[in-house]
Amino acid sequence: MNKHLALRSGNPALQSSTFRQHLASASEGTMTLSGTVNKTGIALTLLIISAGYTWGNPAMHGMVIPAIIIGVVLAFTTIFKPTLGYITVPAYAIAQGICLGVISMIFNNMYPGIVVQAVFLTFGTLGALLLAYKSGLIQATENFKLGIAAATGGIAILYLINFVMGFFGSGIGIISSNNNMGILFSGFVVVIAALNLVLDFDFIEEGAEMGAPKYMEWYGAFGLLVTLIWLYLEILRLLAKLQSRR
Amino acid sequence: MENPALILWIPIIAVSILSILKMINKGGPNGKPFIRIEEVEENE
Repeated sequence: MNKHLALRSGNPALQSSTFRQHLASASEGTMTLSGTVNKTGIALTLLIISAGYTWGNPAMHGMVIPAIIIGVVLAFTTIFKPTLGYITVPAYAIAQGICLGVISMIFNNMYPGIVVQAVFLTFGTLGALLLAYKSGLIQATENFKLGIAAATGGIAILYLINFVMGFFGSGIGIISSNNNMGILFSGFVVVIAALNLVLDFDFIEEGAEMGAPKYMEWYGAFGLLVTLIWLYLEILRLLAKLQSRR
Repeated sequence: MENPALILWIPIIAVSILSILKMINKGGPNGKPFIRIEEVEENE
């Protein structure tokens, strides 16, 4: 179990200390891998249904801004009050589904077929990294965790600066540019997002090993959902850059 | 290239194949081989 006891993930929601805060309150059963997989499946199903419904209903498109705000509130509620995960995580999945439905529709109108490719690539990456983790091909060592956490933090800061610059009509060119550097940057971000999945698997495994309370299954599912949404959006952006050069 | 998404499948397939090879050759993290071939005695 020692290998699980340090910094877990670049994802700020998934840190080792998270479990320690909740171990004492375990009374209604403990977290299991299969339970977390089931809850991740439920959250992903809700997200896909919500995205599909939003895509097909133009009346829902006005809900994007409220869904973003509600999504942020639900994400912070989940992080600070994991006991409410059984309500906040499914609701978060539905809110994110509304956003992803509209974003996907816009990308698909620009480059038909791109969304199907991005969805398959996202789940393909998930499957490949699950295999790599289970086989031991990729191990979440201390250096690996620190490297991914640092890279994820760096990307987050870069995106934040770009977001602020957007208010002044400017931005960091490399993020949206479709030149070679822009594609290399997007490729790098996709790799970092994908490697965050390994840290998420490790976090979930640690929770099950440490006997974390049952409600932490929703928390583990939430972390995986956040990473998958990020990975999907980055793959979508990379594919759009590649398509725009044709 | 006709479909640029095909490039992105290369690392996914490579990681999957390497993982499966590692499972077959060395077993999983618990050291048990993924596939084990051993002689079977008659009437075993």
